[in-house]
Amino acid sequence: MAELSGVFATAHSPGLTGFPERADPGKRDAVMAAFGEAGKRIADIGPDAIVAVSVEHFTNFFLANLPAFAVVTSKRHLGPVTKEMGEFLRIPQRYYPGAPELARHIYRYALGHEFDPALADGGFDFDENFCVPLRLLDADDSIPVVPIVVNGVNPPYPTPKRCHDFGRMLRGAIESATTARKVVVLATGGLSHWVGMPQAGQINERFDRDFLIRLESGDPGRLTDYDDAVLDAAGNGAHEIRTWLVAAGAAGVGVPFETLAYEPVPEWLTGTAVAAARIGAHQ
Amino acid sequence: MYFLHKLLWELRRDPALAARFRDDPDAVLDGYELDPAERAAIAARDFRTLYDRGANPYLLYFCALQIGVSRADYYEQLRAADSEGRTLNG
Repeated sequence: MAELSGVFATAHSPGLTGFPERADPGKRDAVMAAFGEAGKRIADIGPDAIVAVSVEHFTNFFLANLPAFAVVTSKRHLGPVTKEMGEFLRIPQRYYPGAPELARHIYRYALGHEFDPALADGGFDFDENFCVPLRLLDADDSIPVVPIVVNGVNPPYPTPKRCHDFGRMLRGAIESATTARKVVVLATGGLSHWVGMPQAGQINERFDRDFLIRLESGDPGRLTDYDDAVLDAAGNGAHEIRTWLVAAGAAGVGVPFETLAYEPVPEWLTGTAVAAARIGAHQ
Repeated sequence: MYFLHKLLWELRRDPALAARFRDDPDAVLDGYELDPAERAAIAARDFRTLYDRGANPYLLYFCALQIGVSRADYYEQLRAADSEGRTLNG
């Protein structure tokens, strides 16, 4: 049976790799140091796979068929989706290795435990959602990736509680897997930001810091006590914190997180955070 | 709104379609069942009107970039007052 050895959550702003130089140097250094620390912790664990939970920005899915949750069971994943996006993100296109056996186990386990995610068994491409954080955490693409998608880009969205519950189910799925020994969960997205809206470039620092306090508390009641209006006030991109709620559920009820960095970075258009669950060697 | 979203999505994903749209927008727009106001707005690259009608901001923004509207021009449209002097909460 596999061990869930680490749980991390980070921003995936294109600026992190595409235009880091635009940020205030002090903020940039703090964020990059936190990515470095998270990457080191992941390397120390030496996981067989990263279960990466993010949204996807209409790169694959569309309103003709928009899953609330999806599990990607592909053998490999193309990213960034186009050469042009690769240039924008300064990440050359490549194929990321998948972990199809673990992914299929998670999909099957979900269906057996009252969840019904969509299945993507191939042809699923990455945008900044996975490419940006993986570039900073595992630059060699040495760790196979099982992508899981949560709808955070088009309302109505899965509820915060449902996302947290999905994470609790995900932990059970990982711990019952026989095709991996150590697994890391990585959530990406948020915090406050606006995409394609007049407020683009603003940061709702109050929302961000309050969210991180709730995450640090380990209290699922506080962490899932969000309605759409509160999230809307932190931007359409703030709905991506649903991926962090999945991570928190996977970390375990009552397990607090440590904020490795938080910086409001208008030049990257996001409240930029990196956090890790206090489990394993880092309790 | 579905066909507008479909147009925005396909213009972003298909560079050849975006090129055809730049050359002959009507030929492309004929392929989508658009509300007349939506059709006029996208033909004029009037993203503010489409935003006000409730189109998804991700799809609007990505499409704008793909059909030659710069990031700065897109946000300038959204932040400008409309014909009745209203501004969005920017």
